[in-house]
Amino acid sequence: MSSHDTSHAGHDAHHDDHHHNPGFIWKYVFSSDHKMIGLQYGITAMLFLAFGFYLMMVMRWSIAYPHQPLPEWMSWVFTDGWKARWLQDGKVTGETYNMFGAMHGTIMVFLGIVPLGFGAFGNYVTPLQIGAPDMAFPRLNMASYWVYLIGGLIMCASFFMESGPAKSGWTNYSPLAGFADGQVVNQWLAGQTQWLIGLVCLITSSLLGSVNFITTIINLRARGMTWMRMPFFVWSMLVTGFLLLLAFPPLEAAGIMQLMDRVAHSSFFMPSGLFTKAEGLADLSGGGSPLLFQHLFWFLGHPEVYVLLLPAFACVAEIIPVNTRKPLWGYKSMVYSLLVLGFLSFVVWAHHMYMTGMGAAVSTFFQTTTVLISIPSVVIITSMLISLWGGSIRFTPPMLWACAFIPMFGIGGLTGLPLAFNLADLHLHDTYYVIGHFHYVVAPGILFGFFAGVLHWYPKITGRFMSRTLNHLHFWPSLICMNLIFFPMLLQGMAGFHRRWYNGGDAYLDKATAAAANGSNVFANAAASHIDMNILMSWGAWTLALAQIPFIINLFGSLKFGRKVTSDNPWHATTLEWATPTPPGHGNFTFDPVVYRGPYEYSRPDRDEDFLPQWNEPIRTDSADKPSSGH
Amino acid sequence: MEIPYIVTPRKDTGLFNSKIAIWLFLASEVMLFGGFFSAYVFLRIGADYPWPERTLPVLPGLINTFVLIGSSMTVVFAWASLKLHQWRRFQLFMGITVACAVIFMILKGIEYNVKFQHQAVRLKDYSVVEGHLGYEKVGEEYEKDHNGHKIEENRILVEATRVTFNTVRFHKSWVEELISQAEHRKSKIVLAEDLSAIIDEGQPPKTLAKAGDALSLELLERLQKAHLDARAHNGALRTAALRGEWKKANAANPGKRGWEIASGVNIDVEALAPKLLTEIGTVAFTVEPAARFDFQPRDVREAETQSRLRDDTLVDGKLLASPMVFHYVDAIDFQHLAMKAVEKGQDPMVAIEDSWLIKNHPFAKEAWEWNKGEVAKLEKKLIEKYGMDGKTGKPNREPTLKERYRIGWKDFVAKADGVGREKETIALKEEFMGPDYKGREAKHTFPHLSLPREQVGFASKFSPAWNTYYAIYFTITGLHGLHVIGGALVLAYYLFFGRKMYESNPEWLANRVEIGGLFWHFVDLVWIFVFPILYLM
Repeated sequence: MSSHDTSHAGHDAHHDDHHHNPGFIWKYVFSSDHKMIGLQYGITAMLFLAFGFYLMMVMRWSIAYPHQPLPEWMSWVFTDGWKARWLQDGKVTGETYNMFGAMHGTIMVFLGIVPLGFGAFGNYVTPLQIGAPDMAFPRLNMASYWVYLIGGLIMCASFFMESGPAKSGWTNYSPLAGFADGQVVNQWLAGQTQWLIGLVCLITSSLLGSVNFITTIINLRARGMTWMRMPFFVWSMLVTGFLLLLAFPPLEAAGIMQLMDRVAHSSFFMPSGLFTKAEGLADLSGGGSPLLFQHLFWFLGHPEVYVLLLPAFACVAEIIPVNTRKPLWGYKSMVYSLLVLGFLSFVVWAHHMYMTGMGAAVSTFFQTTTVLISIPSVVIITSMLISLWGGSIRFTPPMLWACAFIPMFGIGGLTGLPLAFNLADLHLHDTYYVIGHFHYVVAPGILFGFFAGVLHWYPKITGRFMSRTLNHLHFWPSLICMNLIFFPMLLQGMAGFHRRWYNGGDAYLDKATAAAANGSNVFANAAASHIDMNILMSWGAWTLALAQIPFIINLFGSLKFGRKVTSDNPWHATTLEWATPTPPGHGNFTFDPVVYRGPYEYSRPDRDEDFLPQWNEPIRTDSADKPSSGH
Repeated sequence: MEIPYIVTPRKDTGLFNSKIAIWLFLASEVMLFGGFFSAYVFLRIGADYPWPERTLPVLPGLINTFVLIGSSMTVVFAWASLKLHQWRRFQLFMGITVACAVIFMILKGIEYNVKFQHQAVRLKDYSVVEGHLGYEKVGEEYEKDHNGHKIEENRILVEATRVTFNTVRFHKSWVEELISQAEHRKSKIVLAEDLSAIIDEGQPPKTLAKAGDALSLELLERLQKAHLDARAHNGALRTAALRGEWKKANAANPGKRGWEIASGVNIDVEALAPKLLTEIGTVAFTVEPAARFDFQPRDVREAETQSRLRDDTLVDGKLLASPMVFHYVDAIDFQHLAMKAVEKGQDPMVAIEDSWLIKNHPFAKEAWEWNKGEVAKLEKKLIEKYGMDGKTGKPNREPTLKERYRIGWKDFVAKADGVGREKETIALKEEFMGPDYKGREAKHTFPHLSLPREQVGFASKFSPAWNTYYAIYFTITGLHGLHVIGGALVLAYYLFFGRKMYESNPEWLANRVEIGGLFWHFVDLVWIFVFPILYLM
């Protein structure tokens, strides 16, 4: 009995803590509240996105104006010392371009999109939508954010190292990556090594996050929130969690082995007899396999694509029913497709490796699975499209982005099909076509989905709407610029532009005139006929940067000047996050939420109002509504 | 705010939160170790050298297996004791579990340590020699480096006359080492000639250092700063000038693309020259009088007259004979050589007879002859035991490549003791720590070998660098060891700091011990895979 008393006293003391004002640091910095952590993730990820975007702007200068010094409106960021080391007479060198390219990819994928989608949206919305007071492990959640931030900072700190940051592409293929920065005596201070250390931190962070998400979704659902009453958003987060949980560890293994190659001089990924111009015959045992790295990398790499994509699907799938005032079309088939998609994403990885000579049988297998995986994706995107049919569409700011998401992602997805076939891939591999394809998926696709999400949940987070006018100023230029940048890439790629030309194909121009007679030099022909596009695309990219300014003003300005919401459910939505106070306090719900029906009950013919929230108690006529007995 | 289902399971899922979490975490761990085991398979199948089979001492690994299995049982007993509210029994069993973890790590540490002391070298002709290196001696005394460590007889020796540093990239501790080596050899490293530079725009050059100034880190750092300042200054000027040129060129060629006029756009170097500062990219020092410097083989790319350190420091001077001296050779391995010979279509036996070792070292020839005799005996024994294949006329079983071409340390013992292969007597201590070199010196069991540098193909300790087998061995067991340490720390925390929670909420503590135990089972399970694939196969 005494032990019970102690426990109760302890419990009370614990409980009282939360009534105290936690203080600035504990509320905003070391917070264990999922909503604050979600916001921290969001802000940090957006800063990283801006940084990654800036790197790309510099690269685009080198592509469009290869012989000209970087203009001051871009180069003012750097110190003179940094410029003297990395910009030769103000021009972007090949090495600097490689660094920026590698870091652009890494930052965008690992530090920008994943934390924004999974970390920010997932953290903020998931517990609210399932009616949970917080994540299952709030402190683990906090640790996850901090490990992510540390990993990101380690990676970015490498810009100031003697060696500069990683420079072997975001895929970090060995043996190139194994040799890069080999001249640095203390390998722990080489950018290429720091990239690996940062990566191990990020993987740890995503492991903590995914364990937390899955546990929360399995165990912390409110009463009545059965599996098929979960919003599509929650399903997406569940599948994303599993992808992160199971796909990231092999990359961690690869990262650790590459780290061993660098600091312990092992030869995991270094074949026998490696010879470089600078070093001669490598002082290594050899006997390793560069192909092994690619297998391990892409075993993560492909599921990673869906880790990027699913949160965007999730946002759009929430926004469409709210703004069409009708249920999400084919909710169940979307959920099953999602599960199939998650499973198949683990067996398509080697379609990135058709050119490695791994064998026709293997290629055929992966070609088949790759084509298969397009089916669930198409089911989901088609369901979203059909959801628009016959709806009374409200073109609210988030809906604008959601509507743009569908065709933009559609282009990204469909341009992937030729890459799935290994014969077509022979021609398109490593060209700008590939860049165009996946940027269509990620930039106007996924990012548009996230903009939609920000606009959609902003009123819940802050109690104010974001400005419609500023949103138009943001949306239309972004839409146009995105297509200006990426559509020409598809054309350039088909013409043969290689993705790693740091001077935009300029080096091939002289040969173009020489080869014009017989037209046999594919690079030269491509360069001559498509190089002008570079300028258009680069200006598109820089204008796109300008187009983000209204968004930044809108995001922060609306905190103070935005129109106030008049109710806790301003969009008249049906899912549980709108049942919380605005903004939700620590612990989220002011009542014990019980779920009576599915997530998208809009325009029911038996109701006067055009929406019926999940948490509304049924009246006698709602014969179909009953709380589940399960708890 | 209370998070539900921390202690009691949720009814419809039947699980409390941390139990879901630990299973998810273990799934992730399975994928992590799965990655490494796949790598093992990939590397082993693709190995282009003879994969070392059964090369580790089995006994320590076997003991460790039982230690871990035992601790997996005791952790369950500990959990059950908690459930029965028997604190003392919990303490006992948890104590045994943690003690097992400590024993495991100690054995692992011994295994690692033996390997890090053991040298291997692959000769240019692919014969392999293993053993222990000697240390540099002056008279009877061991020579020490500037850190006070004994110096192994595996150094690149240079009679240095001149050292040139790269002012950006020089490595501090190597500079210190050069200074101390020079001091040690009663020599001095001094600036070769007066160094003057323009350090302010438009001013006459200033003397930064004088010929004869002694090398010091402070001097190099001062020059580095001057160099970087000058580079930044000059870079800014050159960039501004180039921008101006482009402005002019673009105005003069309206409608032309940049790449069409690029060849005509250049900086006016002469106009710029008076404004530039002096960049000091390299700085040369002389060694007076010339002194012998020694370097770790990995740090230097040696050449007859000028060697280059990895930090771009150039050392001028004659390369001296830099042999690699084994005080004890404890294995000679011709497997790789035989493999290469077969690839080239040669008879491996002939190739071995032609190898540098057999031709130059009588002890190697002697050992090889002994080995041939043992292989013949083994062949005979196998025929007696398994018979001949009637169709092909060949024996059903033949000696393995390892038995044919490798003379291991136990073979050297057998040979010295005058008994046949596998009849040697090995002390228990030797099974753990490797051969007792000193004790067996009387019988000259392990020969001495001085290997000229030009014969060295690739050399390494038995570390991850030696080959992909040791790389994967150290990586998997190292990571597994980290898991053991992590798990043991958590379990030890429950043991030493669990009392308070036991008194307030024993169920919660039992839950924690349960998930800690699940993790511990996983760590045990990994070892059960690791042991056969790395020790037995």
